[in-house]
Amino acid sequence: MATIKGYNMPDELYYHEEHSWARVENGKVTVGMDDMFQKEAGDIVFVDLPDEEDEVEQGEICGKIQSRKWIGKLCAPVSGEIVEINEELEDDTSLINEHPYGKGWILVIEPSDLESELGNLMHGDALIPFVDQEIKRTEEERAKA
Amino acid sequence: MPLWRLFKDIVNPVSAALGLSIDDTLPLSLSQHGSPPILHLYIFKPSAIVGKYQDINAALRLDRCRQREIEYNRRSTGGGTVIMGPKVVALGLGISLDHPGLKGGINGIFESLSTVLMDALQNLGIKAGFRPKNDLEVGGRKIAGLSASLETEKAILFHASLLVDFDIPLMLDIMHQPPLKLSDKGYSCFSQRITTIKEQLGCDIDMDTVVAAIEKAFIQRFDVSFEVVEPDTWEKKSIREFTTTRYTNPDWIFSHKHPRSSMGVSAVKTPGGLLEIYLALAGNTIEHIMITGDFFSTTKDINLLESSLKWTSAKREKIEEHLSEVWRNEIIYGVSFDTLTEAILQAKENLITA
Repeated sequence: MATIKGYNMPDELYYHEEHSWARVENGKVTVGMDDMFQKEAGDIVFVDLPDEEDEVEQGEICGKIQSRKWIGKLCAPVSGEIVEINEELEDDTSLINEHPYGKGWILVIEPSDLESELGNLMHGDALIPFVDQEIKRTEEERAKA
Repeated sequence: MPLWRLFKDIVNPVSAALGLSIDDTLPLSLSQHGSPPILHLYIFKPSAIVGKYQDINAALRLDRCRQREIEYNRRSTGGGTVIMGPKVVALGLGISLDHPGLKGGINGIFESLSTVLMDALQNLGIKAGFRPKNDLEVGGRKIAGLSASLETEKAILFHASLLVDFDIPLMLDIMHQPPLKLSDKGYSCFSQRITTIKEQLGCDIDMDTVVAAIEKAFIQRFDVSFEVVEPDTWEKKSIREFTTTRYTNPDWIFSHKHPRSSMGVSAVKTPGGLLEIYLALAGNTIEHIMITGDFFSTTKDINLLESSLKWTSAKREKIEEHLSEVWRNEIIYGVSFDTLTEAILQAKENLITA
Protein backbone atom coordinates (compact mmCIF):
# COMPACT_ATOMS: atom_id res chain seq x y z
CA MET A 1 0.00 0.00 0.00
CA ALA A 2 1.50 3.35 -1.03
CA THR A 3 0.43 6.78 0.06
CA ILE A 4 1.64 9.54 -2.23
CA LYS A 5 1.03 13.11 -1.10
CA GLY A 6 -1.95 12.01 0.92
CA TYR A 7 -3.47 9.85 -1.81
CA ASN A 8 -3.79 6.13 -1.34
CA MET A 9 -2.32 4.57 -4.50
CA PRO A 10 -1.68 0.85 -3.93
CA ASP A 11 1.59 -0.04 -5.60
CA GLU A 12 0.47 -3.41 -6.96
CA LEU A 13 -2.00 -1.70 -9.32
CA TYR A 14 -1.53 -0.18 -12.77
CA TYR A 15 -2.90 3.32 -13.41
CA HIS A 16 -4.23 5.10 -16.49
CA GLU A 17 -3.59 8.85 -16.67
CA GLU A 18 -7.36 9.44 -16.54
CA HIS A 19 -7.38 7.89 -13.06
CA SER A 20 -8.74 4.44 -13.73
CA TRP A 21 -6.77 1.59 -12.16
CA ALA A 22 -6.21 -2.00 -13.22
CA ARG A 23 -5.61 -5.05 -11.04
CA VAL A 24 -4.42 -8.18 -12.82
CA GLU A 25 -5.77 -11.39 -11.29
CA ASN A 26 -5.86 -14.79 -12.93
CA GLY A 27 -5.50 -13.31 -16.37
CA LYS A 28 -8.40 -10.89 -15.93
CA VAL A 29 -8.31 -7.19 -15.15
CA THR A 30 -10.45 -5.58 -12.49
CA VAL A 31 -11.00 -1.86 -13.05
CA GLY A 32 -11.94 1.02 -10.77
CA MET A 33 -11.25 4.71 -10.16
CA ASP A 34 -8.34 5.83 -8.02
CA ASP A 35 -8.28 7.75 -4.77
CA MET A 36 -7.24 11.01 -6.45
CA PHE A 37 -10.34 10.88 -8.61
CA GLN A 38 -12.79 10.09 -5.83
CA LYS A 39 -11.39 12.79 -3.57
CA GLU A 40 -11.62 15.41 -6.32
CA ALA A 41 -15.04 14.27 -7.55
CA GLY A 42 -16.71 14.00 -4.17
CA ASP A 43 -19.78 11.82 -3.62
CA ILE A 44 -20.51 9.70 -6.67
CA VAL A 45 -24.18 9.85 -7.70
CA PHE A 46 -24.36 7.45 -10.63
CA VAL A 47 -22.19 5.21 -12.76
CA ASP A 48 -23.27 4.68 -16.35
CA LEU A 49 -21.69 1.36 -17.21
CA PRO A 50 -21.22 -0.47 -20.48
CA ASP A 51 -22.81 -3.89 -20.99
CA GLU A 52 -21.12 -7.19 -20.40
CA GLU A 53 -19.65 -8.60 -23.62
CA ASP A 54 -18.91 -5.08 -24.93
CA GLU A 55 -15.45 -4.74 -26.47
CA VAL A 56 -13.32 -1.78 -25.37
CA GLU A 57 -10.00 -0.36 -26.51
CA GLN A 58 -7.30 0.86 -24.15
CA GLY A 59 -7.99 4.52 -23.30
CA GLU A 60 -11.54 4.42 -24.70
CA ILE A 61 -14.29 6.08 -22.67
CA CYS A 62 -16.30 3.05 -21.58
CA GLY A 63 -18.47 4.63 -18.90
CA LYS A 64 -19.61 7.88 -17.33
CA ILE A 65 -19.52 8.82 -13.69
CA GLN A 66 -21.69 11.54 -12.21
CA SER A 67 -20.68 13.34 -9.05
CA ARG A 68 -22.81 16.30 -8.04
CA LYS A 69 -23.58 18.02 -11.36
CA TRP A 70 -20.40 16.91 -13.10
CA ILE A 71 -20.32 13.98 -15.48
CA GLY A 72 -16.83 12.56 -15.93
CA LYS A 73 -15.43 9.61 -17.80
CA LEU A 74 -14.24 6.10 -17.08
CA CYS A 75 -11.40 5.19 -19.45
CA ALA A 76 -10.63 1.54 -20.08
CA PRO A 77 -7.06 0.93 -18.85
CA VAL A 78 -6.70 -2.08 -21.17
CA SER A 79 -8.38 -3.46 -24.28
CA GLY A 80 -10.64 -6.48 -24.20
CA GLU A 81 -14.11 -7.75 -23.47
CA ILE A 82 -16.09 -6.64 -20.45
CA VAL A 83 -16.98 -9.82 -18.63
CA GLU A 84 -18.41 -8.50 -15.37
CA ILE A 85 -19.77 -5.29 -13.94
CA ASN A 86 -20.21 -4.46 -10.28
CA GLU A 87 -23.96 -4.61 -9.78
CA GLU A 88 -23.68 -3.43 -6.19
CA LEU A 89 -22.94 0.04 -7.55
CA GLU A 90 -26.53 0.24 -8.80
CA ASP A 91 -27.68 0.51 -5.20
CA ASP A 92 -24.70 2.13 -3.59
CA THR A 93 -22.35 4.32 -5.60
CA SER A 94 -20.69 5.52 -2.40
CA LEU A 95 -18.67 2.29 -2.49
CA ILE A 96 -16.42 4.06 -5.01
CA ASN A 97 -15.75 6.78 -2.46
CA GLU A 98 -15.42 4.52 0.54
CA HIS A 99 -13.58 1.56 -0.97
CA PRO A 100 -12.10 2.69 -4.30
CA TYR A 101 -9.83 -0.38 -4.50
CA GLY A 102 -12.17 -2.87 -2.85
CA LYS A 103 -15.95 -3.03 -2.97
CA GLY A 104 -15.96 0.03 -5.22
CA TRP A 105 -14.48 -1.84 -8.20
CA ILE A 106 -16.40 -1.06 -11.37
CA LEU A 107 -15.89 -3.76 -13.99
CA VAL A 108 -13.74 -6.68 -15.09
CA ILE A 109 -12.11 -6.96 -18.51
CA GLU A 110 -10.89 -10.10 -20.25
CA PRO A 111 -7.81 -8.49 -21.78
CA SER A 112 -6.86 -9.01 -25.41
CA ASP A 113 -3.32 -7.61 -25.35
CA LEU A 114 -2.40 -7.40 -21.71
CA GLU A 115 1.33 -7.80 -21.85
CA SER A 116 2.04 -4.95 -24.22
CA GLU A 117 -0.66 -2.65 -22.85
CA LEU A 118 0.44 -2.86 -19.22
CA GLY A 119 3.57 -1.07 -20.37
CA ASN A 120 1.44 1.95 -21.28
CA LEU A 121 0.13 2.25 -17.73
CA MET A 122 1.83 3.71 -14.67
CA HIS A 123 3.03 1.38 -11.97
CA GLY A 124 5.19 1.47 -8.87
CA ASP A 125 7.66 4.34 -8.63
CA ALA A 126 6.47 5.78 -11.96
CA LEU A 127 3.36 6.90 -10.14
CA ILE A 128 5.13 9.40 -7.91
CA PRO A 129 5.98 11.92 -10.66
CA PHE A 130 2.43 11.51 -12.06
CA VAL A 131 0.80 12.37 -8.74
CA ASP A 132 3.26 15.24 -8.26
CA GLN A 133 2.50 16.50 -11.74
CA GLU A 134 -1.29 16.30 -11.24
CA ILE A 135 -1.04 18.23 -7.98
CA LYS A 136 1.34 20.78 -9.49
CA ARG A 137 -0.85 21.27 -12.56
CA THR A 138 -3.89 21.99 -10.43
CA GLU A 139 -1.95 24.36 -8.19
CA GLU A 140 -0.46 26.21 -11.16
CA GLU A 141 -3.81 26.60 -12.84
CA ARG A 142 -5.33 27.85 -9.62
CA ALA A 143 -2.52 30.32 -9.15
CA LYS A 144 -2.67 31.78 -12.64
CA ALA A 145 -6.47 32.04 -12.75
CA MET B 1 -6.62 39.09 -28.17
CA PRO B 2 -7.99 35.57 -28.76
CA LEU B 3 -11.28 35.35 -30.62
CA TRP B 4 -14.07 33.17 -29.28
CA ARG B 5 -17.22 32.34 -31.18
CA LEU B 6 -20.64 33.32 -29.92
CA PHE B 7 -23.88 31.65 -30.94
CA LYS B 8 -26.78 33.83 -29.91
CA ASP B 9 -30.48 32.89 -29.95
CA ILE B 10 -32.08 35.55 -27.84
CA VAL B 11 -34.70 37.00 -30.16
CA ASN B 12 -36.39 33.77 -31.14
CA PRO B 13 -36.65 31.11 -28.43
CA VAL B 14 -35.38 27.72 -29.53
CA SER B 15 -36.90 24.32 -28.96
CA ALA B 16 -35.36 22.19 -26.24
CA ALA B 17 -34.18 19.73 -28.89
CA LEU B 18 -32.41 22.38 -30.94
CA GLY B 19 -30.86 24.23 -27.98
CA LEU B 20 -29.48 21.05 -26.44
CA SER B 21 -28.24 19.73 -29.80
CA ILE B 22 -26.31 22.94 -30.38
CA ASP B 23 -24.81 22.70 -26.90
CA ASP B 24 -23.68 19.11 -27.38
CA THR B 25 -21.95 20.18 -30.56
CA LEU B 26 -19.85 22.80 -28.77
CA PRO B 27 -17.20 20.57 -27.15
CA LEU B 28 -17.15 18.33 -30.23
CA SER B 29 -16.43 21.30 -32.44
CA LEU B 30 -13.45 22.15 -30.26
CA SER B 31 -12.02 18.65 -30.10
CA GLN B 32 -12.79 17.42 -33.62
CA HIS B 33 -13.24 20.53 -35.73
CA GLY B 34 -10.57 22.87 -34.40
CA SER B 35 -12.92 25.57 -33.18
CA PRO B 36 -11.90 28.06 -30.51
CA PRO B 37 -14.15 28.13 -27.42
CA ILE B 38 -17.82 28.68 -28.25
CA LEU B 39 -20.33 30.42 -26.02
CA HIS B 40 -24.01 29.78 -26.72
CA LEU B 41 -26.40 32.26 -25.13
CA TYR B 42 -30.06 31.62 -25.78
CA ILE B 43 -33.58 31.28 -24.52
CA PHE B 44 -35.67 28.18 -24.70
CA LYS B 45 -39.29 27.84 -25.58
CA PRO B 46 -41.03 26.96 -22.29
CA SER B 47 -39.37 23.69 -21.34
CA ALA B 48 -38.62 21.39 -18.43
CA ILE B 49 -35.21 19.77 -18.76
CA VAL B 50 -33.97 16.99 -16.54
CA GLY B 51 -30.34 16.08 -15.82
CA LYS B 52 -28.71 13.28 -17.76
CA TYR B 53 -29.20 10.67 -15.07
CA GLN B 54 -32.56 11.74 -13.70
CA ASP B 55 -35.75 9.73 -13.87
CA ILE B 56 -37.93 12.00 -16.01
CA ASN B 57 -41.15 10.32 -14.90
CA ALA B 58 -40.27 10.84 -11.26
CA ALA B 59 -39.18 14.43 -11.78
CA LEU B 60 -41.96 15.76 -13.99
CA ARG B 61 -45.72 15.55 -14.32
CA LEU B 62 -45.54 14.87 -18.00
CA ASP B 63 -49.32 15.04 -18.43
CA ARG B 64 -49.30 18.59 -17.10
CA CYS B 65 -46.38 19.48 -19.34
CA ARG B 66 -48.31 18.28 -22.37
CA GLN B 67 -51.50 20.06 -21.33
CA ARG B 68 -49.62 23.31 -20.84
CA GLU B 69 -47.51 22.80 -23.96
CA ILE B 70 -44.29 22.77 -22.00
CA GLU B 71 -41.59 20.85 -23.84
CA TYR B 72 -39.62 18.31 -21.86
CA ASN B 73 -36.27 16.77 -22.58
CA ARG B 74 -33.04 15.41 -21.09
CA ARG B 75 -29.74 17.28 -21.26
CA SER B 76 -26.31 15.68 -21.42
CA THR B 77 -24.98 17.37 -18.27
CA GLY B 78 -25.64 16.38 -14.67
CA GLY B 79 -27.80 17.81 -11.93
CA GLY B 80 -31.52 18.23 -11.43
CA THR B 81 -34.52 19.59 -13.29
CA VAL B 82 -34.53 23.12 -14.65
CA ILE B 83 -37.54 25.03 -15.92
CA MET B 84 -36.54 27.17 -18.88
CA GLY B 85 -38.43 29.83 -20.79
CA PRO B 86 -38.38 33.35 -22.12
CA LYS B 87 -37.12 34.82 -18.85
CA VAL B 88 -34.30 32.40 -18.14
CA VAL B 89 -30.96 32.85 -19.90
CA ALA B 90 -29.49 29.52 -21.01
CA LEU B 91 -25.75 29.31 -21.36
CA GLY B 92 -23.77 26.56 -23.06
CA LEU B 93 -20.00 26.77 -23.22
CA GLY B 94 -17.59 24.49 -25.02
CA ILE B 95 -14.08 25.02 -23.70
CA SER B 96 -10.86 23.02 -23.47
CA LEU B 97 -9.95 21.68 -20.06
CA ASP B 98 -6.54 23.31 -20.26
CA HIS B 99 -7.74 26.70 -21.46
CA PRO B 100 -5.74 29.53 -19.85
CA GLY B 101 -7.66 31.05 -16.99
CA LEU B 102 -9.65 27.91 -16.29
CA LYS B 103 -8.70 26.40 -12.97
CA GLY B 104 -7.88 22.73 -12.79
CA GLY B 105 -10.04 19.88 -11.59
CA ILE B 106 -13.77 19.59 -11.29
CA ASN B 107 -14.03 22.10 -8.48
CA GLY B 108 -11.69 24.52 -10.21
CA ILE B 109 -13.72 24.50 -13.42
CA PHE B 110 -16.97 25.19 -11.60
CA GLU B 111 -15.28 27.89 -9.57
CA SER B 112 -13.81 29.60 -12.65
CA LEU B 113 -17.04 29.65 -14.59
CA SER B 114 -19.09 30.62 -11.53
CA THR B 115 -16.80 33.60 -11.13
CA VAL B 116 -17.64 34.75 -14.65
CA LEU B 117 -21.35 34.57 -13.92
CA MET B 118 -20.86 36.39 -10.63
CA ASP B 119 -19.04 39.09 -12.60
CA ALA B 120 -21.97 39.24 -15.01
CA LEU B 121 -24.40 39.72 -12.13
CA GLN B 122 -22.06 42.31 -10.66
CA ASN B 123 -22.20 44.13 -14.00
CA LEU B 124 -25.95 44.35 -13.42
CA GLY B 125 -25.49 45.57 -9.86
CA ILE B 126 -26.17 42.27 -8.09
CA LYS B 127 -23.68 40.78 -5.66
CA ALA B 128 -23.86 37.00 -5.95
CA GLY B 129 -21.76 34.29 -4.34
CA PHE B 130 -20.81 30.72 -5.19
CA ARG B 131 -22.75 28.17 -3.18
CA PRO B 132 -21.18 24.78 -3.10
CA LYS B 133 -21.81 22.48 -4.71
CA ASN B 134 -22.89 24.09 -7.96
CA ASP B 135 -25.17 27.08 -7.61
CA LEU B 136 -24.92 30.84 -7.50
CA GLU B 137 -26.85 32.55 -4.76
CA VAL B 138 -27.85 35.98 -3.59
CA GLY B 139 -28.54 36.26 0.12
CA GLY B 140 -28.74 32.49 0.41
CA ARG B 141 -31.23 32.12 -2.45
CA LYS B 142 -30.40 30.43 -5.72
CA ILE B 143 -30.21 32.67 -8.80
CA ALA B 144 -28.34 30.37 -11.20
CA GLY B 145 -27.64 26.67 -11.56
CA LEU B 146 -24.54 25.13 -13.10
CA SER B 147 -23.68 21.72 -14.49
CA ALA B 148 -21.07 20.18 -16.74
CA SER B 149 -20.06 17.11 -18.66
CA LEU B 150 -16.80 15.85 -20.04
CA GLU B 151 -18.13 14.71 -23.42
CA THR B 152 -14.85 14.39 -25.26
CA GLU B 153 -11.26 13.76 -24.26
CA LYS B 154 -10.24 17.33 -23.68
CA ALA B 155 -13.22 19.65 -23.95
CA ILE B 156 -16.13 20.12 -21.60
CA LEU B 157 -19.68 21.26 -22.01
CA PHE B 158 -20.65 23.67 -19.27
CA HIS B 159 -24.29 24.56 -18.75
CA ALA B 160 -25.82 27.37 -16.72
CA SER B 161 -29.29 28.79 -16.33
CA LEU B 162 -29.65 32.32 -15.02
CA LEU B 163 -33.02 33.38 -13.64
CA VAL B 164 -34.15 36.76 -14.91
CA ASP B 165 -37.71 36.08 -13.81
CA PHE B 166 -39.28 32.82 -12.75
CA ASP B 167 -42.73 31.28 -12.73
CA ILE B 168 -42.91 29.35 -9.45
CA PRO B 169 -46.59 28.33 -9.85
CA LEU B 170 -45.69 26.78 -13.21
CA MET B 171 -42.83 24.87 -11.61
CA LEU B 172 -45.09 23.61 -8.84
CA ASP B 173 -47.63 22.48 -11.40
CA ILE B 174 -45.32 20.53 -13.71
CA MET B 175 -42.86 19.06 -11.23
CA HIS B 176 -43.73 16.30 -8.81
CA GLN B 177 -44.15 17.68 -5.32
CA PRO B 178 -44.44 15.93 -1.99
CA PRO B 179 -48.17 15.36 -1.28
CA LEU B 180 -48.00 16.43 2.33
CA LYS B 181 -48.17 19.63 4.30
CA LEU B 182 -45.33 21.06 2.27
CA SER B 183 -47.47 21.26 -0.81
CA ASP B 184 -49.82 23.68 0.97
CA LYS B 185 -46.98 26.07 1.38
CA GLY B 186 -45.12 25.08 -1.74
CA TYR B 187 -44.98 28.60 -3.12
CA SER B 188 -43.36 30.13 -0.06
CA CYS B 189 -41.01 27.17 0.30
CA PHE B 190 -39.64 27.70 -3.18
CA SER B 191 -39.80 31.50 -3.19
CA GLN B 192 -37.57 31.47 -0.10
CA ARG B 193 -35.04 29.37 -1.94
CA ILE B 194 -35.01 31.05 -5.33
CA THR B 195 -34.48 34.63 -6.40
CA THR B 196 -34.29 36.36 -9.76
CA ILE B 197 -32.50 39.26 -11.36
CA LYS B 198 -35.83 41.08 -11.60
CA GLU B 199 -36.48 40.65 -7.89
CA GLN B 200 -32.98 41.74 -6.95
CA LEU B 201 -33.14 44.84 -9.11
CA GLY B 202 -36.71 45.62 -8.15
CA CYS B 203 -37.66 46.22 -11.78
CA ASP B 204 -37.93 44.54 -15.16
CA ILE B 205 -34.82 44.16 -17.23
CA ASP B 206 -34.62 43.20 -20.89
CA MET B 207 -32.83 40.04 -21.92
CA ASP B 208 -30.40 41.88 -24.19
CA THR B 209 -29.00 43.75 -21.19
CA VAL B 210 -28.51 40.53 -19.24
CA VAL B 211 -26.85 38.82 -22.18
CA ALA B 212 -24.58 41.82 -22.74
CA ALA B 213 -23.51 41.63 -19.10
CA ILE B 214 -22.61 37.95 -19.52
CA GLU B 215 -20.62 38.65 -22.70
CA LYS B 216 -18.74 41.46 -20.98
CA ALA B 217 -17.89 39.22 -18.03
CA PHE B 218 -16.38 36.56 -20.30
CA ILE B 219 -14.43 39.20 -22.25
CA GLN B 220 -12.97 40.61 -19.05
CA ARG B 221 -12.26 37.34 -17.28
CA PHE B 222 -10.66 35.50 -20.22
CA ASP B 223 -9.31 38.56 -22.05
CA VAL B 224 -10.98 37.58 -25.33
CA SER B 225 -13.25 39.09 -27.92
CA PHE B 226 -16.35 37.53 -29.48
CA GLU B 227 -17.37 36.97 -33.05
CA VAL B 228 -21.12 36.46 -33.31
CA VAL B 229 -21.61 33.68 -35.82
CA GLU B 230 -23.94 30.90 -36.88
CA PRO B 231 -22.89 27.25 -36.64
CA ASP B 232 -20.93 26.26 -39.75
CA THR B 233 -21.72 23.35 -42.07
CA TRP B 234 -19.83 20.77 -39.98
CA GLU B 235 -21.55 21.95 -36.85
CA LYS B 236 -24.99 21.99 -38.47
CA LYS B 237 -24.53 18.36 -39.44
CA SER B 238 -23.58 17.52 -35.86
CA ILE B 239 -26.59 19.44 -34.54
CA ARG B 240 -28.91 17.47 -36.85
CA GLU B 241 -27.36 14.21 -35.68
CA PHE B 242 -27.81 15.07 -32.00
CA THR B 243 -31.40 16.12 -32.68
CA THR B 244 -32.09 12.75 -34.29
CA THR B 245 -30.12 10.47 -32.00
CA ARG B 246 -30.84 12.22 -28.72
CA TYR B 247 -33.29 15.04 -28.40
CA THR B 248 -36.18 13.73 -30.51
CA ASN B 249 -35.41 10.13 -29.61
CA PRO B 250 -37.67 8.61 -26.91
CA ASP B 251 -34.87 6.21 -25.92
CA TRP B 252 -32.80 9.22 -24.87
CA ILE B 253 -35.57 11.35 -23.40
CA PHE B 254 -37.06 8.49 -21.37
CA SER B 255 -33.73 6.80 -20.68
CA HIS B 256 -33.76 4.24 -17.88
CA LYS B 257 -30.10 4.83 -17.08
CA HIS B 258 -30.60 6.59 -13.80
CA PRO B 259 -30.56 5.79 -10.12
CA ARG B 260 -33.83 4.74 -8.54
CA SER B 261 -35.82 7.82 -7.50
CA SER B 262 -37.67 8.08 -4.24
CA MET B 263 -39.10 10.73 -1.95
CA GLY B 264 -39.37 10.71 1.81
CA VAL B 265 -40.76 12.97 4.50
CA SER B 266 -40.56 13.27 8.24
CA ALA B 267 -42.05 15.55 10.86
CA VAL B 268 -40.45 15.79 14.30
CA LYS B 269 -41.52 17.84 17.30
CA THR B 270 -38.54 19.61 18.77
CA PRO B 271 -38.04 22.20 21.53
CA GLY B 272 -37.66 24.74 18.73
CA GLY B 273 -40.92 23.79 17.04
CA LEU B 274 -42.06 21.37 14.37
CA LEU B 275 -39.25 20.25 12.07
CA GLU B 276 -40.28 18.88 8.67
CA ILE B 277 -37.96 17.25 6.18
CA TYR B 278 -38.64 16.54 2.54
CA LEU B 279 -36.08 14.39 0.83
CA ALA B 280 -35.73 13.42 -2.83
CA LEU B 281 -33.28 10.60 -3.35
CA ALA B 282 -31.49 9.42 -6.47
CA GLY B 283 -30.37 5.96 -5.43
CA ASN B 284 -28.70 6.61 -2.11
CA THR B 285 -27.81 10.20 -2.98
CA ILE B 286 -29.70 13.24 -1.74
CA GLU B 287 -30.84 15.00 -4.89
CA HIS B 288 -32.95 17.55 -3.11
CA ILE B 289 -33.79 18.36 0.49
CA MET B 290 -36.09 20.86 2.14
CA ILE B 291 -35.81 21.65 5.83
CA THR B 292 -38.93 23.47 6.92
CA GLY B 293 -41.32 23.85 9.83
CA ASP B 294 -42.23 26.50 12.38
CA PHE B 295 -38.84 26.74 14.08
CA PHE B 296 -36.77 29.93 14.07
CA SER B 297 -33.86 30.29 11.68
CA THR B 298 -32.94 32.36 8.64
CA THR B 299 -33.55 31.55 4.99
CA LYS B 300 -29.83 31.86 4.39
CA ASP B 301 -28.91 29.36 7.10
CA ILE B 302 -31.55 26.85 6.06
CA ASN B 303 -30.41 27.08 2.45
CA LEU B 304 -26.83 26.64 3.65
CA LEU B 305 -27.71 23.45 5.49
CA GLU B 306 -29.70 22.14 2.54
CA SER B 307 -26.93 22.93 0.07
CA SER B 308 -24.36 21.13 2.17
CA LEU B 309 -26.36 17.94 1.75
CA LYS B 310 -27.41 18.17 -1.89
CA TRP B 311 -25.75 15.61 -4.18
CA THR B 312 -24.15 13.81 -1.26
CA SER B 313 -24.66 10.32 0.10
CA ALA B 314 -27.66 9.78 2.37
CA LYS B 315 -25.65 7.56 4.73
CA ARG B 316 -25.60 8.67 8.37
CA GLU B 317 -21.88 9.28 8.53
CA LYS B 318 -21.95 11.37 5.36
CA ILE B 319 -24.95 13.40 6.54
CA GLU B 320 -23.12 14.09 9.80
CA GLU B 321 -19.90 14.93 7.97
CA HIS B 322 -21.53 17.41 5.58
CA LEU B 323 -23.79 19.02 8.17
CA SER B 324 -20.87 19.51 10.53
CA GLU B 325 -19.05 21.53 7.84
CA VAL B 326 -21.66 24.29 8.09
CA TRP B 327 -23.23 23.68 11.50
CA ARG B 328 -22.95 26.21 14.29
CA ASN B 329 -24.67 26.53 17.59
CA GLU B 330 -28.35 27.52 17.30
CA ILE B 331 -28.24 27.70 13.52
CA ILE B 332 -31.78 26.40 14.00
CA TYR B 333 -32.96 27.64 17.37
CA GLY B 334 -34.02 24.73 19.58
CA VAL B 335 -33.02 22.03 17.08
CA SER B 336 -29.86 20.09 17.79
CA PHE B 337 -27.43 18.61 15.28
CA ASP B 338 -28.50 15.11 16.30
CA THR B 339 -32.20 15.90 16.02
CA LEU B 340 -31.76 17.24 12.50
CA THR B 341 -29.67 14.23 11.49
CA GLU B 342 -32.26 11.83 12.87
CA ALA B 343 -35.09 13.68 11.13
CA ILE B 344 -33.28 13.37 7.80
CA LEU B 345 -32.66 9.67 8.34
CA GLN B 346 -36.30 9.23 9.30
CA ALA B 347 -37.37 10.90 6.03
CA LYS B 348 -35.11 8.48 4.19
CA GLU B 349 -36.99 5.58 5.74
CA ASN B 350 -40.45 7.11 5.37
CA LEU B 351 -40.84 6.93 1.62
CA ILE B 352 -43.89 8.35 -0.12
CA THR B 353 -45.43 8.22 -3.56
CA ALA B 354 -45.62 11.47 -5.50
